[in-house]
Amino acid sequence: MRLRRFLGTEVPVLLILAFALAPWLWMILSSVRPERDWTTRPLAIMPATLTLSHHIELLQRTTFLQHMLDSLVVAVGAVTAGLLLALPAAYAFSRFRFRGRSTLRISFLIVNMFPVVLLVLPLFVLLRQMGLLDTYFALIAGHATFTLPFAVWLLTSYTDSIPVELDEAAMVDGATRVQALRLVVLPLMLPGIVAVALYLFIASWNEYLFALMLAGRDVRTVTVALQMFIGENEMRWGLLTAGGTLVALPAVVLFLFAQKRLVGGLTGGAVKG
Amino acid sequence: MSQARLRPGSATPWLLLAPALAAVSFIVLLPVAQTVWLSLHRAILTRPRDRPFIGLDNYAALLADPLFWESLRHSLVWVVATVALQFALGFTAALLLNRSFWWRSAARALIVVPWALPSVIIGLTWSWMLDFNLGVANELLLRSGILSESVAWLARPDTAMPAVILALVWQGFPFFAVTLLAGLQAIPAEQYEAATVDGAGSWRCFIHVTLPGLAGVIATTLLLRMIWVANSLDVILVMTGGGPGTATHTLPLYAFLKAWSGLDFGYGSALAVVLTLLLLGVVIAYALRAGERA
Amino acid sequence: MPRDISRRAVIAGALAAAPLAAPRAQRGTMIRWWYHFDNPTATPDALVQRFEQANPGIRIQAERIPWGGGADYDNRLYASVVANNAPDAAMVKLQNLTRLLEMDALAPLDRWVDAWPGRTDIADAMWALHRSPDGKRHYVPVQYVVLYLYCRQDWFTQANLPLPANFDQFLAAAKALTGGERWGFGMRGGAGGHDHWASFALGGGASFEKGGLVTPQALAANRWFVGLGREHRVFPPSAPADGFRQVIDNMKAGRTAMTIHHVGSATELVGALGDAIIAVPVPRGPGGRGWTAFGDGSNAVFAQGRNQEAAWRWISFLSAGEANVVFNQLSGQLPVTASGQRAWTGHPERFIRASSESVPLMATYPQSPKTTDWTRTVWPQTTQRALLGQTEPDEMMRVFERHFHG
Repeated sequence: MRLRRFLGTEVPVLLILAFALAPWLWMILSSVRPERDWTTRPLAIMPATLTLSHHIELLQRTTFLQHMLDSLVVAVGAVTAGLLLALPAAYAFSRFRFRGRSTLRISFLIVNMFPVVLLVLPLFVLLRQMGLLDTYFALIAGHATFTLPFAVWLLTSYTDSIPVELDEAAMVDGATRVQALRLVVLPLMLPGIVAVALYLFIASWNEYLFALMLAGRDVRTVTVALQMFIGENEMRWGLLTAGGTLVALPAVVLFLFAQKRLVGGLTGGAVKG
Repeated sequence: MSQARLRPGSATPWLLLAPALAAVSFIVLLPVAQTVWLSLHRAILTRPRDRPFIGLDNYAALLADPLFWESLRHSLVWVVATVALQFALGFTAALLLNRSFWWRSAARALIVVPWALPSVIIGLTWSWMLDFNLGVANELLLRSGILSESVAWLARPDTAMPAVILALVWQGFPFFAVTLLAGLQAIPAEQYEAATVDGAGSWRCFIHVTLPGLAGVIATTLLLRMIWVANSLDVILVMTGGGPGTATHTLPLYAFLKAWSGLDFGYGSALAVVLTLLLLGVVIAYALRAGERA
Repeated sequence: MPRDISRRAVIAGALAAAPLAAPRAQRGTMIRWWYHFDNPTATPDALVQRFEQANPGIRIQAERIPWGGGADYDNRLYASVVANNAPDAAMVKLQNLTRLLEMDALAPLDRWVDAWPGRTDIADAMWALHRSPDGKRHYVPVQYVVLYLYCRQDWFTQANLPLPANFDQFLAAAKALTGGERWGFGMRGGAGGHDHWASFALGGGASFEKGGLVTPQALAANRWFVGLGREHRVFPPSAPADGFRQVIDNMKAGRTAMTIHHVGSATELVGALGDAIIAVPVPRGPGGRGWTAFGDGSNAVFAQGRNQEAAWRWISFLSAGEANVVFNQLSGQLPVTASGQRAWTGHPERFIRASSESVPLMATYPQSPKTTDWTRTVWPQTTQRALLGQTEPDEMMRVFERHFHG
């Protein structure tokens, strides 16, 4: 039995994880390799000598950690703002039928169909006129708004999976709509909310275009900071790989805690797939 | 599945939607409108005073532009291959991560690593791994005897597109893994128990309980991901810049290069509008087929 | 729209009131200056301090902008001009010049340059290269490099080959040194590789004048260059996609015998190859003509700035004397001042010598708003296709001719 589970579940998971982690592990291996060893042939998979000089330089002689913090502030802000805007919207789309519902949902999505690279210039001019360039607010607003349609669609989809009979049952028992939402629907939506929150966090964390054009000095995110390691005539691979190793960690750590919520909603415990 | 219902004419849904609509209208609609307007002009960024209105000329030029059609073809291949592979891998991962084994929490957390990396890191790392001279991919393939000589993956038109597709599949499959995993949680255990009691094996459970229960989320995530991938250009830009030649030119990349390299914002905007209209067509077709529900 | 106007009115009102709030003399002027250095740990703080001490009343806010292959830096620059948010001064390249002039973004500097004692420390030839098409001066050079040819001297000696002084010797050497896992010339086919092509096409007789890219001589020179890759196979198979990182790594890893780059990579190459790596000026074409790219770097003052004289003081400070030497230690390029060049020890001597020997061959690309699009998009795409056999070499030149001259 345990062997079946091992072979049928754990081995495939290991294989998929191997695929997911191999490039990142290669990055980690490179970040502890002295630079001169990167261009020696034949190529050595395992480093012959280990060095922490790249990490030390990254942490002590650059302002990388500061920028991780900037990214964190913006991402948390974007998740909060995004969820606050998207949850009511998703509930409206899921639980109500009203004229224009379909058209509105589709028009919402147009936002994301448009290549952002062309929108950034008018946005830049707009924010400049409002005096909001290079502020946390600008980036949070930009990130939250551009991820809103996806967030709303996803949350609507998760809400749709919760039978509306549950709302009705609660209201028959005397709860108001708001109470029904808070006490019955929201707890069941928790896995969906976790997934959307992770999506919002990662979208903001990885975002480069707005961070480059709309901010950069007072607010510099980690994506812009990484670009500083790529110069005209020089690419600091050591700092890039060390930075690349670190930059994946916040999302992983956050999801490690949040994924506890991804358990079967109605009865709890593992669901047999 | 839920069937929502309510008194028609109620103002409640609009109140709930108001904040989201306001945010989007203010920050996004104005730039979109400006860009569409710009596509009807000849607009070179560095000549702000020379902006004649030329109507649909940019669009006419676009239809006659062989590179537009080539980019469109590449975009189709790009979107279909990437989304299909991301979905297949992500769905498998979601099903597996839904089972219980002692290190499940760690596995779930680690699977998001590809998704959590910025595009510049992904582009550079994959370019480096696929490098002709110093890439670990060639090295391993040579050592294991699968290849007899190094392949310049990103310099050959026949391998460049598969290479960027591979990088994107790697980057994006955790999206499906996480969102589908969340969707799996909404399927009540009772349905599985009932099916098992009726004598269904795991395959039939999958077809008759899992898939129907997940159908809405699957459809939504596929649609959203398709839109996202169709518009993404970061990784391709870093890995190949659209090359070699124009082998990895996709529509958004072409629009980007026209606007920011050639500074022809009129034409670039027209390309962006065409891409948006094509995606809109797909979404409308999807909405019509799915009826009112999705 | 009404919302915009009222907001603008508020901001305008606030700005109008500001001078009343604080007398200008006490506050001092703040100059925003944009720069980019390759070395992420190099900062201009020491220079800023020195300048501020010598110029009380002027404060410099130095802002580092990501280079992003040049595209990110340029895009931010143009966007800021469009949005009326340009810096007071910024590092700029010659390829930005016509575009910035089209946008009326730059302030002419003639009246200050003519009265500047530091002017004579920069060679006349250098000033001439930086003069704007309208005859005025908008750029103050602050750094430069010249592209030359790196060679693996040990391989040349072993094979008893002369260091290539002309195209024929180059071809012979490249062919002789290709074999096994080695290639004669590490050609850069990705963005930025136009410098490689130019040395051979333009050195071989092509020119950017109208019609100059499609003369029989020009077509022959280009055919010869593309033939290096397609017939003689002296380029590695990865050449169409190779960027500066790849060509340098290939030299370091002992995969290529020659490549073209500049003194910015000298230290790195010496670190990996020691005395085996040397440099010579690029080979000359038939008729003794040679062409090598001039890697420039200047500062300019922006017309939107309200303290242009103070901005001028800062950028002239950076291009004079001791400050210019320190600046180039930070930027990794060569000082523009004659005094700085004489005293320069920032790179191994043989590379400095190769750079100065290359000065007679030094040239720039056309001053045209189409140049940037050509270097960034048209050249890589078309050349890659030619190298892959998808386009005929002659067609390649015709595409370039059409791009520049319609």
